[in-house]
Amino acid sequence: DAALRGDSLRAFLTAMRSSPGHGKNPAMKEQAQGTMLKVLTSFKSSEIEQAVNSLDRNGIDLLMKYIYKGFEKPTENSSAILLQWHEKALAVGGLGSIVRVLTARKTV
Amino acid sequence: MAYHSFLLEPISCHAWNKDRTQIALCPNNHEVHIYRKDGAKWSKVHELKEHNGQVTGIDWAPESNRLVTCGTDRNAYVWTLKGNVWKPTLVILRINRAARCVKWSPKENKFAVGSGSRLISICYFEQENDWWVCKHIKKPIRSTVLSLDWHPNNVLLAAGSCDFKCRIFSAYIKEVEERPSPTPWGSKMPFGELMFESSSSCGWVHSICFSASGSRVAWVSHDSTLCLADANKKMAVASLCTETLPLLAVTFITENSLVAAGHDCYPMLFTYEESQGTLTFGGKLDVPKQSSQRGLTARERFQNLDKKASSDTANATLDTLHKNSIRRISVLAGGKANCSQFCTTGMDGGMSIWDVKSLESALKDLRIK
Repeated sequence: DAALRGDSLRAFLTAMRSSPGHGKNPAMKEQAQGTMLKVLTSFKSSEIEQAVNSLDRNGIDLLMKYIYKGFEKPTENSSAILLQWHEKALAVGGLGSIVRVLTARKTV
Repeated sequence: MAYHSFLLEPISCHAWNKDRTQIALCPNNHEVHIYRKDGAKWSKVHELKEHNGQVTGIDWAPESNRLVTCGTDRNAYVWTLKGNVWKPTLVILRINRAARCVKWSPKENKFAVGSGSRLISICYFEQENDWWVCKHIKKPIRSTVLSLDWHPNNVLLAAGSCDFKCRIFSAYIKEVEERPSPTPWGSKMPFGELMFESSSSCGWVHSICFSASGSRVAWVSHDSTLCLADANKKMAVASLCTETLPLLAVTFITENSLVAAGHDCYPMLFTYEESQGTLTFGGKLDVPKQSSQRGLTARERFQNLDKKASSDTANATLDTLHKNSIRRISVLAGGKANCSQFCTTGMDGGMSIWDVKSLESALKDLRIK
């Protein structure tokens, strides 16, 4: 997590790539969710769009899953920034990406 | 595009006769109504009342002019036209849950019924007893079978079910047909043999369709994806995550193009690129009416802000032809190889006929391969 202190965009892409995806280990998933949340909340509003555009279709779906996971456990200021992430991700992924969050049988 | 509003309730299912002059539909109750085209109007000519539960599937055999219907009362009826009256024959399906879908085979000597009993009933007529008999395909289906489609060789049957999988079975009945020749899906086809099973997607498979040649099968599922399996590529599956709400119905209109529609209330085109094995979105197939752009007065703007918290001038109503989800698509003319017209019915009680040539000329970027 040294990457956090540096470039947010790079931290974001690393976190996305190294996420366990849909693993079964609950401890690992908790840790990944925490890391992801920290990265997402550390972004400035203006940088969000660029980060979202750097993802492919599967990345957008994965990001949506983490956004909704973040909504589930709100912290102090998380919801506001997550809503901005949501708006940008929705513009790219469409309603289909939200449907896939709802129907996914393996959660992040 | 011709749109006709039949009812205020949803149309559960529909089927056309051979020359497309009559349509049989279920108006969301226990009956089947048959309408005939009279010039520009549709008039109801028959009411078929035999089911005790909602009719969930209708299929009209074009050559033998028989109807088969199935419903939530766990029964299926085969209807034959005697004079001017449709006479039903009960078919015992031996299921203990509702029937969900029914399809005549291409040669019309058998039909398949998918049900909530987690099995498919293949029914054929036994001459000696003058009676429809059925055989079950059970393994390895784990949940309700929502959709069925026959392969052109009259033996293979594709089934989409709520256990998130699409499967192809052999429905070979030795009493009514001879051994089928090998296909790209396999060569040994005893009854009930599983020829293909898709790996899990994450949604109920709402609709499934074989291409005209039978070497490709496409399905749409509830997680907003469209998938296609190509037997000529060792059954490789190409899938596309769409940006829309889940699709409920899909059909091939050429060997490479598909039309699908669903909860977004408009049909859309998808293209399969064989060389790369990919599916791409081809475009929305609904031509919206050009609504006049009225400027909003300051008062209306404030009212909008107050009521809806938006200063958007966009309409709250849908600008698509269908005003509610589209449930079924059927090919009217040209077959699945070269479809020139297709029909959609939906939850808004309306039926719409789409002409492929007019769509191609109306929507500039449409490419139908």
